[in-house]
Amino acid sequence: MRGSVALGRGALRFRGWVPLALLVLLMLGIGAYVDGRSSAFLTQYNLNSLLLTALPLSFVAIGQASAMLVGGFDVSVGALMTMGVIVASYTMTDGLAWWVLLFGSLAVVGVGAVVGLGNAVLVRLIRLPSIIATLGTLSVLQGISLALRPIPAGSIGVDVQDAFNSSASFVPYGFVAVLVLAALLDFWLYRSASGLTARAVGLDDTSSRRLGAPAERVQWRAYVVASTMAGFGAFFLGAQLGVGDATPSTGTSYTLQSIAAAVLGGASLAGGKGSFVGAVFGAVFLSLIVNILPFVGWSDAYGQISIGGLTLAALVLYQGGAVWGQARAAWRVLRRPAVAAG
Amino acid sequence: MTAAIPRTKSTEPETAPVVLSLRAVSKRFGTVQALEDVSVECRAGEIHAVVGENGSGKSTLLGIASGVLAPDHGVVEIGGEPLTATSAAEAIRLGVGMAYQTYSHVLELSVAENLFLAAPRAERPPYGRMQPWAAEKLAELGLELSPQAPLGSLSLAERQFLEVMKALLHRPKVLLLDEPTTALGPHEIEELHALVRARARAGVGVVYVSHRLPEVLGIADRVTVLRDGRGMGTFEAGELSEDRLVSLMIGRPLQLAFPERPAVDDRPLLLARGLSAPRLGPLDLELRRGEIVGLAGAEGNGQDELLRALAGLERAAGTVSVNGVEVDLRSPYAALRAGIMLLSGDRVRESLFPVLSVRSNTTVQVLRRFARLGWVSRRREQAAVSTLVARLKVRTPSIEQPVRFLSGGNQQKVALTRPFLRGSLNVILTDEPTQGVDVRSRFDIYDALRTKAGEGVAMLVKSSDPLELAGLCDRVVVVSRGRVVDEIAADELSEQRIIEGIVGARGAHGGARAR
Repeated sequence: MRGSVALGRGALRFRGWVPLALLVLLMLGIGAYVDGRSSAFLTQYNLNSLLLTALPLSFVAIGQASAMLVGGFDVSVGALMTMGVIVASYTMTDGLAWWVLLFGSLAVVGVGAVVGLGNAVLVRLIRLPSIIATLGTLSVLQGISLALRPIPAGSIGVDVQDAFNSSASFVPYGFVAVLVLAALLDFWLYRSASGLTARAVGLDDTSSRRLGAPAERVQWRAYVVASTMAGFGAFFLGAQLGVGDATPSTGTSYTLQSIAAAVLGGASLAGGKGSFVGAVFGAVFLSLIVNILPFVGWSDAYGQISIGGLTLAALVLYQGGAVWGQARAAWRVLRRPAVAAG
Repeated sequence: MTAAIPRTKSTEPETAPVVLSLRAVSKRFGTVQALEDVSVECRAGEIHAVVGENGSGKSTLLGIASGVLAPDHGVVEIGGEPLTATSAAEAIRLGVGMAYQTYSHVLELSVAENLFLAAPRAERPPYGRMQPWAAEKLAELGLELSPQAPLGSLSLAERQFLEVMKALLHRPKVLLLDEPTTALGPHEIEELHALVRARARAGVGVVYVSHRLPEVLGIADRVTVLRDGRGMGTFEAGELSEDRLVSLMIGRPLQLAFPERPAVDDRPLLLARGLSAPRLGPLDLELRRGEIVGLAGAEGNGQDELLRALAGLERAAGTVSVNGVEVDLRSPYAALRAGIMLLSGDRVRESLFPVLSVRSNTTVQVLRRFARLGWVSRRREQAAVSTLVARLKVRTPSIEQPVRFLSGGNQQKVALTRPFLRGSLNVILTDEPTQGVDVRSRFDIYDALRTKAGEGVAMLVKSSDPLELAGLCDRVVVVSRGRVVDEIAADELSEQRIIEGIVGARGAHGGARAR
């Protein structure tokens, strides 16, 4: 079942590994092309910085995949990243004892979890559409961040920065951690009863309720996980920035990029389908696009265009079943006489 | 309830424990009182039918019994324990097994995964052993299905059997079946009934909801009748005749209530030749001026496709002519230009704007008629709408009332106002015109349809209710697998005759039995 491409009735149906394989192939192709043009691309330094850039996004993408799994979106994750960095600039500064730092880091994650609960209340209890509800959260968080740090200030500890950025060869330890986490989550999703329940809730809320599945709990959990993951992402982002900067550019781009990464990794907009490993691969892929721009001499503008274009292409390819269906129907009609000449 | 309770039909096991009890249950949706002070009791080993027309409250009753809906008043007890939470999971835990009319399947998942989700936690196999476990369960019930098959690839009948099977996985004390035979053929109905009887013999209480009376009288021990959300009493099935049951359901002799049939013009108005589309045809159809033609058949045999093809919603091959002129049916707009209008069965989603007023819903397609230089004259609009509202007996506090606050019957009447404002109609296609409509409104709707037909319009009425077709129509065509298999003329129209046509009892009777 899973792991097979169903080409039945012509529709290219999403099956777990297809987006993954496509992403890997694309990345290898792009890598080979850029390597041919510049020897600076395949260096330990560049690959390391590529993966470090991908790290915060990977966490957020996992979180976004979690929200999308129940058919929702969390667009507040970007502002939450900023907020996390701001909190870290208070609680994870230089010269703190390790146990103070521990509490400080718990505060960052805690902020994420609390925001996630708030989102869940808005979406599940008050029944607002998730995009609109989290859009509201986004604005509120952005405002709080600005109130806390009107100008960039508060440096995040150098030890903390070093710890979060440390790598073995070109692979940051953090990246290994996020990949393992994603793999565990995928294993849970596709190889456990509770994962199956989560997918069922995402695919068909009514039916899963009728079967007695704890649909409400699954949905709440999805939003809390989404925000908590953004909290984890904020650690790594903070460690890279080193300062509490509340200008929107700090985190905002993560909202769209996390959705793009999840979609590239195979997440369905309608819920119930997706892969956490896929989301991480999607995050690496997006970072790769940005990373190669200087090597091929393109401006940032092209990077943004290609990220948007590729995301749309992925959407059409993986979930454009209706589009394919209509195209086929139109073709059939064109080839045969209509009911009656008008 | 260990041993089977030996008994024959109609000998009540008075001593058997009550497994489901609803006492004085009421439920209101907006302005509609769906249930009022209804009590039903089902004992272990009993097959208890609940009958009533569409909209009589059957589904609401099951919704409350299965924990999906919370009653406004009243008590639900399952196996002697009160159901306090509005939660299907809780009802399942207390011993309810519910087979929903619209199923509880996750279509994108496989048969095995669906069974796994439906199974009680304690009986689920390890995740990796799901396939062989599901195969075993399927074999127990004699269902020849592949555990790996995606549920969406099963036929409706297979989905129905699987739905019942899922409800049984918890070994419920009471099994609730909501219209379980809608998708089944005669042979499959027998199979399902055998299964249900076996469960009842094993001590399970069965609540069997259906509107198919012969079927109900054939299987039930007791029958509770609902009418307009009220209980009309519980009866021994053996003491009931079909006629008696019908009059209990509708409250007055049916024949009297239908509008009279005037003589029909003989000239054909609409002629369809060799109409064919996926799941439809090839099929020929002829409608005459002033005629109401019924479209009958088991659900999903091409009726919807036929209506949609004639309304320009679905492309079909073949020719259609109106008044002898061949017409183009490539879009709903083209169909409308040819004077063909579809009144959808899904009125809330497809033909009404629920938040707009009765007035706006009535005039939305013909606003230009009330306008001067592009400005709508509210006064002229109101006058026209008020006249129609009175004529169709729409019960609404004012014509400015949003239609979502009206009852189903009155919503349907609002949808019906549109053809009355359109002068140039030739053919009206109606899909289940009285589904979810209270009895009083039904007869208002029949009157409205007959009046409109009297203006020289041909009408094609698709309905799953043979009683309705027999009373309303001048002629009924029966379709099966997309083809016309039977045609019943006015002089031999009866519910019985239509059902025979649907189940194929008359074989090659009359009509154009296309091959």
